[in-house]
Amino acid sequence: MNAVAAASAVLIACLSLGSVSAATLDVTLTGSDGKPLADAVVAVHVKGAKTTAAAGITAEIAQRSRQFQPQVTVVQTGTAVLFPNFDTVRHHVFSFSPIQRFEIKLYAGVPNAPLIFDKPGVATLGCNIHDRMLAFVAVVDTPFFAKSDAVGKLQIDLPAGKHRLLAWHPSMTESGAWVEQAVTVDASNGKLALKLPAAAMP
Amino acid sequence: MRALLHRLLEPMARRLDVRIVVVFLGLLGLVQLASFVTIRRSIDANAHAQIAVELRTGESVLRRLLAQNAQNLTEGARLLAADYGFRSAIASGDRPTILDALDNQGVRIGANVAVFTDARQQIVASTLADNAEQILPLVRANVSDDGAGANRTGVQILNGRPYQLVTVPVKAPQLIGHVSMGFALTAALVRDMEALSTLRLALVARPFDGAWTLLPIGERVASLSALARQVDAGGQSADLVINGEAYGSHLVRLGSDAKHEVAAVLMRSIDEAVAPYRQLQLTLLAIGLVGLGVFGIGSSITARRITGPIKQLSASAERLGAGDYSSAVSVRTRDEVNDLAEAFEQMRQSMQSRDAHIRRLAYWDQLTGLPNRAQLLDLLADHLKAARSSGLPCAVLMLDLDRFKHVNDILGHAFGDRVLRQIAVRLSDGVLREGDCVARLSGDEFAVCLPGADIDTARNVAQRLQHALEQPIQLDDHTIDVGAGVGVAISPTDGDDANVLLGRAEVAMYAAKARQSGIVVYKPNLDSGSAESLSLLSELRTAVDHDQLRLYLQPKIELATGLVLGGEALVRWQHPTRGLVAPMRFIPFAEQTGFIRVLTAWMIERCAARSGELRVQGLDLKFSINLSTRDLLDQELPLRMERLLAQGPTDPDRLCLEITESAIMDDPQRALQTLQRLHDMGLRLSIDDFGTGYSSLAYLKRLPLHELKIDKSFVMAMEKDRADLKIVRSTIDLAHNLGLSVVAEGVENAQAWALLKSMHCDEAQGFFMAKPMPELEFASWVENWVPPQTRLNTEFAEFS
Repeated sequence: MNAVAAASAVLIACLSLGSVSAATLDVTLTGSDGKPLADAVVAVHVKGAKTTAAAGITAEIAQRSRQFQPQVTVVQTGTAVLFPNFDTVRHHVFSFSPIQRFEIKLYAGVPNAPLIFDKPGVATLGCNIHDRMLAFVAVVDTPFFAKSDAVGKLQIDLPAGKHRLLAWHPSMTESGAWVEQAVTVDASNGKLALKLPAAAMP
Repeated sequence: MRALLHRLLEPMARRLDVRIVVVFLGLLGLVQLASFVTIRRSIDANAHAQIAVELRTGESVLRRLLAQNAQNLTEGARLLAADYGFRSAIASGDRPTILDALDNQGVRIGANVAVFTDARQQIVASTLADNAEQILPLVRANVSDDGAGANRTGVQILNGRPYQLVTVPVKAPQLIGHVSMGFALTAALVRDMEALSTLRLALVARPFDGAWTLLPIGERVASLSALARQVDAGGQSADLVINGEAYGSHLVRLGSDAKHEVAAVLMRSIDEAVAPYRQLQLTLLAIGLVGLGVFGIGSSITARRITGPIKQLSASAERLGAGDYSSAVSVRTRDEVNDLAEAFEQMRQSMQSRDAHIRRLAYWDQLTGLPNRAQLLDLLADHLKAARSSGLPCAVLMLDLDRFKHVNDILGHAFGDRVLRQIAVRLSDGVLREGDCVARLSGDEFAVCLPGADIDTARNVAQRLQHALEQPIQLDDHTIDVGAGVGVAISPTDGDDANVLLGRAEVAMYAAKARQSGIVVYKPNLDSGSAESLSLLSELRTAVDHDQLRLYLQPKIELATGLVLGGEALVRWQHPTRGLVAPMRFIPFAEQTGFIRVLTAWMIERCAARSGELRVQGLDLKFSINLSTRDLLDQELPLRMERLLAQGPTDPDRLCLEITESAIMDDPQRALQTLQRLHDMGLRLSIDDFGTGYSSLAYLKRLPLHELKIDKSFVMAMEKDRADLKIVRSTIDLAHNLGLSVVAEGVENAQAWALLKSMHCDEAQGFFMAKPMPELEFASWVENWVPPQTRLNTEFAEFS
């Protein structure tokens, strides 16, 4: 559901750029061991693009079966994130991450207010009740971002041109530096293979 | 000292009961010693094995205890790490809050150190104020170990001291750091350990390649000070001695760092471990000692039961050996010893009766019931012993019955035995003094012991004895006249030895019998065994060879014509130093020793030779030679006479052999044979000393006699005693009636000559005519002889 929202956000962004010819960037991510890297985050900074998401854009990190779903979420700065609880037990979601320190004390169902992530970076989420619940929110200040699928692939629709690409994976930790790379995208050339200093999450 | 001990123990060791007890006790002692040693070894081995087990278990317990402590510590650290507030404080970088939280939780769980390190393992907060950095390597070691590995107990070394340090991660939710909590190993651990087990615990530390040193924990530093050195020497497992108490030990390595090594020493008191066994051993020892005692008493009693009767038997045997048969063997048991005791008792009884029998045989004469020679000798020895100490004399009489042989021969031995019994009764009845003892020595010999008697008393008793025997004995139809020669010997004059004294009494007795003088008191010259006699005897043997004997002759005159018819041959000894020795000095013992035969032979030879020589001179004379009993019994005599006469020095009828009545009566039968043979040779035979013997006329008439010599006692007494005179006259008549010639001896005066002549006695011999003279003087005496002119006194007219 969130992915749909994100995709639509990108589409809207592209439409808003108007005349700029569009291209699709296919990125294949591998870890330091050469294996496909799932749940890796790629963000592309395009000059002139809005850094903050429009109001009303939301994302959702659900708690189901005592797990955060999804475990890795990418949002643009200013996105409101909801933490609906689908379990019968209560959760106490918290983050000590500098970009967004919060705690939603024991609750069930959907908290009253969504939480707006307005600083770029990574927030690590935990539950004070269940130590093994772990989730990451990667906040990027660009509307062009995506998360790799189970085989380490992702697609980002971008205006053609030369851009700055940043990549991250949870195993690089919250405070770890993002991998930064310049990328030139046009209609004929939209493929990129990226190797990250990371390993697949267990 | 050893010799003394040996001398003391030697008799003990020879005792059967002691040996039994010693052997049994020794064996039991050996068995007990063996079992005691075995048990003790087994106990020691068990105790050591048990101690080893306890020490191994102790190691497990210690490790478990440490693991538990580590677990508690970990739990505490985890609690803190999970605390939201603590994590929140960490997230906010609030160091004072973090420190407080560490401190607070540390105190809560009793940790000595609490440290928080961030994800890059840098210290954020530490309760260890001063040297916080030192703990960092420990924390890092724990983190890299990840709680999974070797050091579960988490013993680390901090400043050389052992700590249990645990480290737990702090997640929010990802790892944001570590909480480490440390716990110094203290007396509490020792207490816990000792509460859980019987072991004692000490902690030691050493630098690598250094010596162990004791870590001061609790208050035991002083008491354990000797331990480290011994651990150092003993290694992993060693027996230690601490304050005099022995311990088994086990070294448990707890942990090490780059410089140090820490270990726990587990100790188990050997004495404590062995204590229950020691109690058991003491009980066993007590049982063993009591057993030894009971066994000793038991075996001693048993041994006594065996040896007691044996000792009694031995004592009985000793008594029997000493001749005491009177006390019965009184051992009564119910075993084999009883059989032995009964056998002993039977033996004793048979020995007693045999002894009594032997004693009777040995000391009593069976025929007369009188004591025998042996008893008399014993008694005499006792009396002599008493006499020696008291100084009193002691006399012995010896009697020999006259003619008893004759009684035996004629009336039989059974009769002779009855006579002896009668005589025994006479000798013992009323004649003897109190304390005197009469004994039968042999045959017809009796002896009387007279303690305390001097010579007069002895004579007196002897006379009374003779008097008692003078009464004829009436048995069946026979009347027996007995008489006895009595010899007397007195101690100490005649000797103080029983045998010697008795022997001398015997010598005196023979002298008495020979002289027919009744009682003779011993004098040394009587005795061929006396010193003088012995030397005389040995010299007499050489007298013949050295021509020391001299022939003396005493003339025999025919009363009717006054012619010298011949002479009686007598021997004298011309001794080279003693001079002329009287016949009485050597004839009696020549008779006793048998040397008389040589003398007689010499006399006959000399007489024959002299007779031959005188005939050449124109003197036809007969010579008479005395024959002794021994000569008469000598089978050789007739042969010797034959050989002599065959040489022809003179005619047989010129030799006359004179024999005393007693010589004939000793063995009448043989005497008769011998005399018959001599008579057959033509020799003249004369009966000498007629009237003093007891020969019967019936016997005499059978003898081939030519002559009868009246004993000189009658002849010498006849002038004063009419009875003797009558005897002389009767004898002359008797002889003439038997066709015998009569010779009177002992003619000492003219009156005797006249009397004999008037009574028609054929020949006379005596000092009145001549004393015995050397043979060479005889011829000239005969030349000068003038018969006396005598006149018979009127008082004897009736005898003419």
